[in-house]
Amino acid sequence: MNNMSPEVALNRISPELRPLLCSVVRNGRVGLDSTNCLRITDLKTGCTSLTPGPCCDRFKLHIPYAGETLKWDIIFNAQDPELPPDFIFGEDAEFLPEPSELPHLVQWDAEDPECLLQLVKELIQQYHQYQCHRLRESSRLLFEYDSLLEDPDYGRSLEIYAGHKNSWTGEFSARFLLKLPVDFSNIPVYLLKDTALDPGEDVALLFVSFEDAEATQVFPKLYLSPSIEHALGGSSALHIPAFPSGGCLIDYVPQVCQLLTNKVQYVIQGYHKRREYIAAFLSHFGMGVVEYDAEGFTKLTLLLMWKDFCVLVHVDLPLYFPRDQPTLTFQSVYHFTSSGQLYSQVQKSYPYSPRWDGNEMAKRAKPQFSATRQAFCSGLVIK
Amino acid sequence: MAASISGYTFSSVCYHSANSNSDHEGFLLGEVRQEETISISDTQISSAELLQVVEVHNHEPCAQLFSFYNYAGLVNEENLNKILKERRKNVIGWYRFRRNTQQQMSFREQIIHKQLTQLLGVPDLVFLLFSFISTANNSTHALEYVLFRPSRSRYNQRVTLSIPNLGNTSQQEYKVSSVPNTSLNYAKVIKEHGAEFFDKDGVMKDIRTIFQVYSALQDKVQAVCGEVEQSERVKEKVQQEVNKLKQQIALRKQKNAEEERRILEAQNPEPLPTPEENTEPPETSLLSLVAFNTPSTPERPGPSANPPAYADLLSLQDNSLLPSSSSPTSAALLPRPQAVGSPGHPSPNPMGLGLGLSVGSSPAPSPSTPYLGNGDGSSSDSLDRQAAGQEDEDEDEDEDSSEYENLVSEVAQLPPVTINVLAQGRPASLSPDGDASARGSQT
Repeated sequence: MNNMSPEVALNRISPELRPLLCSVVRNGRVGLDSTNCLRITDLKTGCTSLTPGPCCDRFKLHIPYAGETLKWDIIFNAQDPELPPDFIFGEDAEFLPEPSELPHLVQWDAEDPECLLQLVKELIQQYHQYQCHRLRESSRLLFEYDSLLEDPDYGRSLEIYAGHKNSWTGEFSARFLLKLPVDFSNIPVYLLKDTALDPGEDVALLFVSFEDAEATQVFPKLYLSPSIEHALGGSSALHIPAFPSGGCLIDYVPQVCQLLTNKVQYVIQGYHKRREYIAAFLSHFGMGVVEYDAEGFTKLTLLLMWKDFCVLVHVDLPLYFPRDQPTLTFQSVYHFTSSGQLYSQVQKSYPYSPRWDGNEMAKRAKPQFSATRQAFCSGLVIK
Repeated sequence: MAASISGYTFSSVCYHSANSNSDHEGFLLGEVRQEETISISDTQISSAELLQVVEVHNHEPCAQLFSFYNYAGLVNEENLNKILKERRKNVIGWYRFRRNTQQQMSFREQIIHKQLTQLLGVPDLVFLLFSFISTANNSTHALEYVLFRPSRSRYNQRVTLSIPNLGNTSQQEYKVSSVPNTSLNYAKVIKEHGAEFFDKDGVMKDIRTIFQVYSALQDKVQAVCGEVEQSERVKEKVQQEVNKLKQQIALRKQKNAEEERRILEAQNPEPLPTPEENTEPPETSLLSLVAFNTPSTPERPGPSANPPAYADLLSLQDNSLLPSSSSPTSAALLPRPQAVGSPGHPSPNPMGLGLGLSVGSSPAPSPSTPYLGNGDGSSSDSLDRQAAGQEDEDEDEDEDSSEYENLVSEVAQLPPVTINVLAQGRPASLSPDGDASARGSQT
């Protein structure tokens, strides 16, 4: 029941309340972590057990916030669907927002399907202020927050969760979730994951966990949207530096931002470079091009002939081209290996410079192809 | 803080709530009182414990939700007064019922509670939360209730709510609730039939009757106490007189012994005894005889509490046989000092007169009061029999009676010449120690 799909949950909700819940469940994006949708569980009813269903009018709403998940009880009355809901803020029993700062509560409109979602967003804002206020328990962490707040790049996209690890004696700790201001818009579309799944906005979130009030145990983590992670070469391709001892977020966050930006630039540049490379080879080898990757420009296959001897040349362009050298694979069209594959020979080291442009690389490729071809053919003859 | 709710109020709230097809709320009416318990133990002089007790007597349900507050939770005092009317001053808290929710105050409830605390002027306003928790298949429904006092700190908010007599009353006393009975029907019936049980002051008639019986018993006991006191006093006086008579008897015996000795000496060639000494024994014997034979004379003193004064006794015997006591016996007849506070100090008494008087007119209890003697043959008992003429000379019950016998026989032997001597004698007074002084006086 806790992992029921949104549609199943919606079917159990009282019909009068269903529109409100639809927008929450289907379109609900609150906070920085918009990859995680709002989820509802534990549907119950406030009507007598004799009331025919569906009549659920109270549930638990799971809201991702600052790396945590808030579980708030929302209480409607199916018999009075026009009335605004009531809230129980879970373990945050001391959180008491000011009603006057919740316009969608004061002017609750049950006819507006977005009303509940907007109200939840307003509550999250109040909750954020409440958590920031709790940071006052630690001057060190408060400094971290204030310094970030002053920076317009980070201050507006910041979520904080502060408190004790457990209610009684735990060490005071805090979690900062920042949305890094990195532009991913120029990443070629092909690099992104299957967009049919609607991964949402491409974001990079830096999650920093302070396990003590004096910031001696700090653990950063970078969260990327699935498409961005794929575009940048997977989770293993990107490693952020450790939080420096005695350092502070206002210095560390720009560092991580820069690293990520550089990576993205690399990827974008690589794409363009590869496109340029392929275009140059197309121009130089013209009819000799068998096929090439027209989206990602990661592959090119040429058919070269020398004295009626045909050789296929596969060019594989790596992700971080031109920093990384393309791989040349010569393949025979006549000969098979003992395993039944076409005989091929890979060449990774050859004269190459990342500073050459595509045209230059294509020009220099010709003599390289000739030289390699001769050796390849000789090898074939010997066989 | 302790809290209790009467069983009928609790069941009424549950009834309203269970029959509501949505959340339900209302107000709790009752009273708050302070109980101070002072305990004294060996370890400390005294310790006072103050306990605030909240008693819920009644409830006022709201007809619908949001009846006294708006969407933002702002309380409308006008609507509040419309719901509570004149019962506003009795509000001690409010309650809310919501099914299948946590036992925790919600956002709006906290907002409303703060405002109610200020508007109603109840600093420790309580909040009672009811909740029905049902299992998934609706087979079991649990009614849970928690009483909060949100004015306190977060960890001290819940208060135990007790329902008197809900439980195993076989092991505990059935408690009478202090909830005032506001039922009009009850008041009417009591007023109608109360006169059979209550008097005009509102006190039960039986109680008054019992109290009257008690008062009567008290009066009787007081009266009996008085009578006992009186009889004890009389007894004390009788005892004193008996003691006095005993002393007189002892003196008389001693005197007689002296007389005999003198007679014996006189029979021998010895100087004649003094007239006083010679005349004394016959006089004494005559007096004794008179005393024995006519117990009615001399006149017995009346039933007064005080024994007759010596002067009175003298006057009575003025024309009768005059008592005379020789000097040897004067000392023996000196009155014995009595204890302080004793009624009527017996005046110095001539032996014969005293003896006769004592014999013939012993201050026995007057016929007006019944004789309260113990009848065991004690001296007082024998004296009484003498006074009544019942003395038997052969009786040996009492030492004193045997003395009388001796005296009679001795007196009979005395010559009659002593009468004149006695007549001329003067009354002697008894000394404290009659025998010793008698001897002393004789030498």
